[in-house]
Amino acid sequence: MSLTTYAWLVLLCPLVGTVTIALGFRRLPGRSAGWLGTLAIVASFAFSVLVFASLLSHGAHHRQFTSSLWRYDFTAGVDARMQILIDPLSTFMILVVSGVSALIHLYSISYMTEDPGYRRYFSYLNYFVFSMLLLVLAGNFILLIVGWAFVGAASYLLISFWYRRTTATRAGLKAFVINVVGDVGLVLGTFFIFTHTGSVEFLRVFRAAPHVWHSDQGSLVAGCVLLLVGAFAKSAQVPLHTWLPDAMEGPTPVSALIHAATMVTAGVYLIARMHPLFELAPTAAYVGAAVGCATLLIAATIALVQVDIKRVIAYSTMSQIGYMIMGVSAGAYAAGLFHLMTHAFFKALLFMAAGSIIGAMSGVQSLDRMGGFRRALPFTFLCFLVGGLALSGMPPFSGWWSKDDILGTIDARGGGFIVLGVAGYVGAFLTALYTFRMIFRAFYGAPVPEARELEQGHLHHAEVPRNPLTGEEEDTDVGFPGPGHFIAEREWPMRIAMGLLALLALIGGLANIPGVWDPIGRFLAPTFAGSRFADLHPSTSSAWIGLAIGAAVAAVGIGLAFRIWVGLPAITATLRERFTAAYVFLSNKWYFDELIDLVVVRPALWLGGLISAMLERTVIGGVITGGPVGVVRAGSAAVRRSQTGFLRYYAAAMVICMFAVALYFLVSSS
Amino acid sequence: MTLSYLIWLPLAFGLLAGALPRRLIGWFSVAGSVVVLGIAAYFLDRFRLGHAGLQFRTDVVWIGALGIHYKLGLDGLNVLLVVLSCLLFCASLIWSALREWERPRVYYLHLGLAQSAVLGAFCAQDLALFVGFFDLMLIPFYFLLGMWGSGERVRATTKLVVYTLVGSFFMLAAAVATGVIASSEHGTPLTFVLSSLQHLRLSHFNQDWVFLCFAFAFMVKMPLVPFHGWLADAYKSMPIPVVAVFSGIVSKVAAYGFVRITLSLFPYAAVHFQLMMLLFALVSILWATTVAFTTPDARLVVAYSSVAQLSFITLGIFSLRPEGIQGALLQMVNHGLVTAPLFFIVAVLAARAGGSERIRDMGGVAFRAPVLASLFLIVALATLAMPGSSNFIGEFMILLGVFRTKLAVAVVAFAGVVGAAYYALRLFIGTMHNRVGPRVASREIRLGDVAAIAPLVLAILALAFFPQFGLSRSQRTVQATVASAPELFGTPVRVAAR
Repeated sequence: MSLTTYAWLVLLCPLVGTVTIALGFRRLPGRSAGWLGTLAIVASFAFSVLVFASLLSHGAHHRQFTSSLWRYDFTAGVDARMQILIDPLSTFMILVVSGVSALIHLYSISYMTEDPGYRRYFSYLNYFVFSMLLLVLAGNFILLIVGWAFVGAASYLLISFWYRRTTATRAGLKAFVINVVGDVGLVLGTFFIFTHTGSVEFLRVFRAAPHVWHSDQGSLVAGCVLLLVGAFAKSAQVPLHTWLPDAMEGPTPVSALIHAATMVTAGVYLIARMHPLFELAPTAAYVGAAVGCATLLIAATIALVQVDIKRVIAYSTMSQIGYMIMGVSAGAYAAGLFHLMTHAFFKALLFMAAGSIIGAMSGVQSLDRMGGFRRALPFTFLCFLVGGLALSGMPPFSGWWSKDDILGTIDARGGGFIVLGVAGYVGAFLTALYTFRMIFRAFYGAPVPEARELEQGHLHHAEVPRNPLTGEEEDTDVGFPGPGHFIAEREWPMRIAMGLLALLALIGGLANIPGVWDPIGRFLAPTFAGSRFADLHPSTSSAWIGLAIGAAVAAVGIGLAFRIWVGLPAITATLRERFTAAYVFLSNKWYFDELIDLVVVRPALWLGGLISAMLERTVIGGVITGGPVGVVRAGSAAVRRSQTGFLRYYAAAMVICMFAVALYFLVSSS
Repeated sequence: MTLSYLIWLPLAFGLLAGALPRRLIGWFSVAGSVVVLGIAAYFLDRFRLGHAGLQFRTDVVWIGALGIHYKLGLDGLNVLLVVLSCLLFCASLIWSALREWERPRVYYLHLGLAQSAVLGAFCAQDLALFVGFFDLMLIPFYFLLGMWGSGERVRATTKLVVYTLVGSFFMLAAAVATGVIASSEHGTPLTFVLSSLQHLRLSHFNQDWVFLCFAFAFMVKMPLVPFHGWLADAYKSMPIPVVAVFSGIVSKVAAYGFVRITLSLFPYAAVHFQLMMLLFALVSILWATTVAFTTPDARLVVAYSSVAQLSFITLGIFSLRPEGIQGALLQMVNHGLVTAPLFFIVAVLAARAGGSERIRDMGGVAFRAPVLASLFLIVALATLAMPGSSNFIGEFMILLGVFRTKLAVAVVAFAGVVGAAYYALRLFIGTMHNRVGPRVASREIRLGDVAAIAPLVLAILALAFFPQFGLSRSQRTVQATVASAPELFGTPVRVAAR
């Protein structure tokens, strides 16, 4: 079979999984839906590996293939086919996406066992993987938008998976609407690009772009900035990020898969894919870099004060994606994608470990209630620690290599980019601080009752299941989420998934050692061959200096975290009192929600209220309708007195009148 | 096989049904509509793609002295709308047959008459014939609303009658004037055949006022804001199967009329009033969208979403660009396929919420009704034109057309896209998710009701994979329209040219 057939099969496997599980929702017994879903993704991963292998068998300059099945929207100048593009970039992405997804499916088999929506869950999860693979394989803008919106829909479905919780449905709606704003940006950007290049196919657009636009031409910058709106909405960048923390309403493996490892990195992929356009529109690229930088700092500061463990990790995701967006916008493509990969490993791992703690706490997510889980959850602790060290950028964990690769490459551009690089190191310090704040608060200190119960061999179960956000009692009618709780220590599929990810988080960074080897950069090179920044690399010595600085910053951050949250636990209260204003500002997440509410949501609802309550009644119902209808009604009152069924009169009158008018015109003309 | 069979069979079946015993009437009508659907499918199958002109033509002189022909034909503009009509009437009759109706003979006769009139209006290739069918269409719906309606049906019927009657008068006057003026201006014998009138262009001034009359009638029928005063009451009161076809099909006749009549006969006026029409459509999108996301009534959410989508279709038509018109034609089919199942689903939900159609009284149905939830989810996502649905391709082409003529209009119209996401999901979440509503008795959808909804959902899914199926059927005719009216699509004629 050919390379393109493998690539279509990569897409087909999860789609078949989705449909099979969805149709068999009444018949699939026990955990079989979970195994079926996992199998579909593992098969997809296997085909991705085959794509990878056959791509390598072609020469470095012949690694770009397209394949189309049928015409999709092929009329009036639009030339969209059902078409995929296979090149090193898309191959890299399908490997990461299907690989990490397979492990998260495996984890979910156990984690979701007692959930009444088990089959629905795996059907959605397969659908998500299909959408994400479609997004990265799409060969034209229209299919890209389809994949883009499909992952948004899958994300909505999974955020509001426990749909009896109003918090979950509200979060799902918010995520969906913000993602539609992103879709609109993408569609409008496509319009700008299509209008000038006359094609929606990526390769044709990239070939035509240098001939139709000169550098920084207005319409191209507009198009690229609109693409960025799409990227920001999907990748939770400021100011379109407010949906991501709320998205933590979904089951924890969903947060690991969609809201950390894969979907939210779509923006990074988009910018990397569109690099020929962004390089022609440097202004748009600067916007991307600046927003990425702002996001990484803002999110890191918010993460310092959050108490919900999943939300801390969510803000950390935002922050890390800020690094990637900043990187790919500044021309550090391979570095950005390298960080995308390592981040997928360690962030999925952190969420899985957090899921295990939440299981042990029987659904409670607040750090205030946790503590001393070190001995009760040794495996989870180890995994969390590996993930935390990788996130903080401690050598030799993967995050250290990849984050400093981004910062080193950005610094190599010199000029204003040095500022971004420095901001990145500030962010790295904050990252180490909030990560270890979380670790020390959850695993150190005196064990909480739940931890002590677990040390005695008994998993805690809450008497009344409650919504972790509002404390509201759960709807026991449907039992969402399931009554059972699962921890990695007791479930082997969870242990395998976490163990493998921990291993990858530990050694994944070795794929790129400055001065030694650089297989990821070399593999991706053909995609970025025409780029102005193809040779943008820091020298080996400066790369190692950067790595040393990164390690030092992380160590200082971890040390400070240890001093504050283990050494002097009382100091946090003092700090909070001392810096009340800053604390309130940060715990309100920089008031972005309130701002959007004030500027967008309220005016729209107010307008809706005005129109439906006032204008509909007075103008439409009163003035426009009321007059003529009143006249007719007065007239018909006479008819009604003599006869019932005045409708018949209307019909008859209408027919007669129409003939009269017709006659009049005919007579007058002849 | 001629188109006359297709058009008149529904009425014939409606009359025949009257001779049958009461309990057979409904299912006999369903069988009849399946036969009609089969005939429509036959025409669709035989339809030649590479052909721009009329196919399956019937052309008989009807009233020779007035130059009125009984001329029917299919081309890229109407072939899918004809199939859609047959499909929706079929679904609607299945829904009806599952329920008891007072005076069923008259009820099914009116539905048959309605289908005949609608199909006639779509197939008519003579202006007088079109107007005749267009007005004939109103009669069965008056009776269906007035006799089988619920709630404030008298008020609703009065409003509907007054509005459409006024609209019809304008259209009738305009149609007669078109034929008469064309023949006197060009010194040719009187004719109403569209293909002849196309070559007998009216003077600019006459085009203008005739265009406005037609536009008014069509905008009332669709309806667009501010001519929608009849909509809320009428849609609220109509029985569900009637509102499904009314919103799914009858509103399309008006949109189709814009393409078939106004663009090809009055191209100068279409360019002259382009901005006005775009602004009507734009205001209508924003107005209807905001009402749809604040109204507490589930059925009205669907009603106003329908207004918003028809406004998008109008926007596409008056982009006066091939991609916009292509998108509009595709979107007519898409909208019919989503709006009818939505009305059915609202009825299913109301039956589970103690008869109330208020969103507040619903909620939490999904857990006991996964099939209903899945069907609703697919339809809701298609309604909000999620990429991957054919509705998205329609909207994409429409907005691309508008983008290329009037960029600012397109940018503002995108607010309607975001709004649609909000109101469609608000309806879905409010009824299917959250806590179980106070009066909700949650249970799965009946198999019979699935039979009415599922074919439409399958059509939505099939078109999602192959939107090209619709686009390639209309593209030759749209190209020909472009070629035949260069003033429409080439450099716009300046107003100063008058």
